[in-house]
Amino acid sequence: MSRYLTILNKLLFLLLLLLFAFIPLYPKFPLINVKGTFVAIRLEDLIIGLTVGLWFVYLILSKKLKVFLKDKLTQAMLLFFFIGSVSTFSAIFLTHSVVWHLSILHLLRRVEFIMLLPVVATTVKNKRGIISVLFTLLLVVLAVNLYAFGQQYLDWPVISTTNSEFSKGLILRLTPDARVNSTFAGHYDLAVFLAMVLVILTPVFFAVGKVLKPAIVIVGVISLVVLIMTAARLSFVAAFVGIIASLIFSRKKKYILIIIISLLAVLIYPSQLRDRFISTITINVFHQGTRYEGQTNDQQVRSKLNIPTLAVKTSSTSALTSTFATKSATISSDITPGEPIDTTQLGVYRSFQIRLNIEWPRAITAFMKNPFLGTGYSSIDIATDNDFLRSLGEIGLLGTIAFILIYIEIVKKILSLLKDDDKFLRFFSAGILSMLLTFVLNGLFIDVFEASKVASLFWMMLGLNLAVLNFKNETLKHF
Amino acid sequence: MTRKLFLIFSILLLIYMIWPGPGKISDFKALPNSDKSTLAGDNITQVPNVAAYFSENYREFVVPYYSKIYQSLNWLPFPPLRLNHPPEYSWTVIKKHTDSTYLEELIYPLKSSLFVNGFEPFYSDGTPKFWGSSTFGMNDHSWHTKTTIRFYPSSAVVRILVWSGIIISVYLLFKLGKKILT
Repeated sequence: MSRYLTILNKLLFLLLLLLFAFIPLYPKFPLINVKGTFVAIRLEDLIIGLTVGLWFVYLILSKKLKVFLKDKLTQAMLLFFFIGSVSTFSAIFLTHSVVWHLSILHLLRRVEFIMLLPVVATTVKNKRGIISVLFTLLLVVLAVNLYAFGQQYLDWPVISTTNSEFSKGLILRLTPDARVNSTFAGHYDLAVFLAMVLVILTPVFFAVGKVLKPAIVIVGVISLVVLIMTAARLSFVAAFVGIIASLIFSRKKKYILIIIISLLAVLIYPSQLRDRFISTITINVFHQGTRYEGQTNDQQVRSKLNIPTLAVKTSSTSALTSTFATKSATISSDITPGEPIDTTQLGVYRSFQIRLNIEWPRAITAFMKNPFLGTGYSSIDIATDNDFLRSLGEIGLLGTIAFILIYIEIVKKILSLLKDDDKFLRFFSAGILSMLLTFVLNGLFIDVFEASKVASLFWMMLGLNLAVLNFKNETLKHF
Repeated sequence: MTRKLFLIFSILLLIYMIWPGPGKISDFKALPNSDKSTLAGDNITQVPNVAAYFSENYREFVVPYYSKIYQSLNWLPFPPLRLNHPPEYSWTVIKKHTDSTYLEELIYPLKSSLFVNGFEPFYSDGTPKFWGSSTFGMNDHSWHTKTTIRFYPSSAVVRILVWSGIIISVYLLFKLGKKILT
């Protein structure tokens, strides 16, 4: 039996290596479309399903199921799934706030992502395994970055899921002002991924030998350049906060000054990212910038009544002044009175206003409707752009507390690894702990826990770190 | 002490959740001085638990009116929670292609909810809100507003099951939370 178990474990490890490469590299081509949503089932979902299924067989055959179930982290995860199921039931039959198959689909997506943590944590059996995975990831990051450059400068294909039409798997090309997404189908997803990479690479740099240091520097610098190309403001800030945290956790505080100087240098250098930062301060903080006043007074008044589903033109009482469209090539054609004229400022303004006036209130309303269980997965549309409000809205206070418990238990486990004797594992743990922080910061403005590629990788990286507990500390009876 | 509080909370929540209330849209009175719509999609043979009325009643009157009725049907000492939704959400909760200038939800959380959708092409002083505003003709009468209400009830069995889910979840969260935080 033990021979078969060894083979099964090796097979699982190979599947995990495949997933670590496949998830970030394979474009988001849909495999099976689901009615009523543009979230599709993809090839990676099937590979994850196969891996989790095999892992479950391994867990039963190796008689470790009991040990697994006794672990506090496992219990927190199972409780989270249980509350998610109760919330789904309530959403279908009590609040009637979801389409049943979509809610179940989104519940299963959460299970799929989170289950990757225990799979990785129990399959990786030694330090060599961790290094193999990290080495694979280093090559993957390089490939992702090179592909991003290819999209920007060599017109390489773009697969995007930013709207329902694109998500059918259309082969697109970057338009002049569009932002790179590499293989991640959305520039925010790529930015979050690169922020994770930078935060982990920083402490690992101090733990590796001289031969590997240049490779880490090269991959790190390229990742930073691509992160700037995505012009994702929050991910950029989160990356730097994460890097500083990783230096603190790995007791390399003296390098913080270098990081701050680098940050300032990046912000001084002209880029779309810098322009968006300036626009954010101008528009969202100081409420400055030249605003569009409308072609007539009538437009200014009528723009307040803007209901997209009304069959009639709501913009005016007169057919002659019924459209807001401008004739100027430099002003956006769909601009309405009160919006900034500058296109960068307009983008930044809308990005924040959509969150502030539509997405966040929608989540708060859902929470008020059912404070215990929320209104169910998929009930508050495809995006909330704040993972904590989304959690409160979808699964209520109970589900959110269960999720926080998972988080706390993970942090406790990683904190214990910061005292490890092995320098590499200690520094790697510092990187993962900072990655957690980076992810939380990103979650304030982006739904990172639902973005399939980055969410899967996030739980897998946590699992990789927690694997250390299984082979390092025999006294702690982890799964 | 904690056990007692939990027990009290469980019992109170159960009483609240199984407390009797309205079961169908016909339990809700019509708007005063109104014509009931017989248009396609405005009656329960086509869309469950829906009713629509043409009248001169505006939002300021309509929503508090149904809030009072809803409270009296539930026999509860407090009014339902009032939630404001974007008008376009009416396509989801009332029916597709519902014209709307406001949509509110009156809700007793974990029990049932009543959506009140209003289409007011005119301000109350009679001036049109937008180009193309027109009155509604019904039974040789011209009306300025249309109110559509849709009721979402839930069965007692479902409520008891959800109550059980909540109580089990709270209990397990408390037990596990203590284990993790200490």
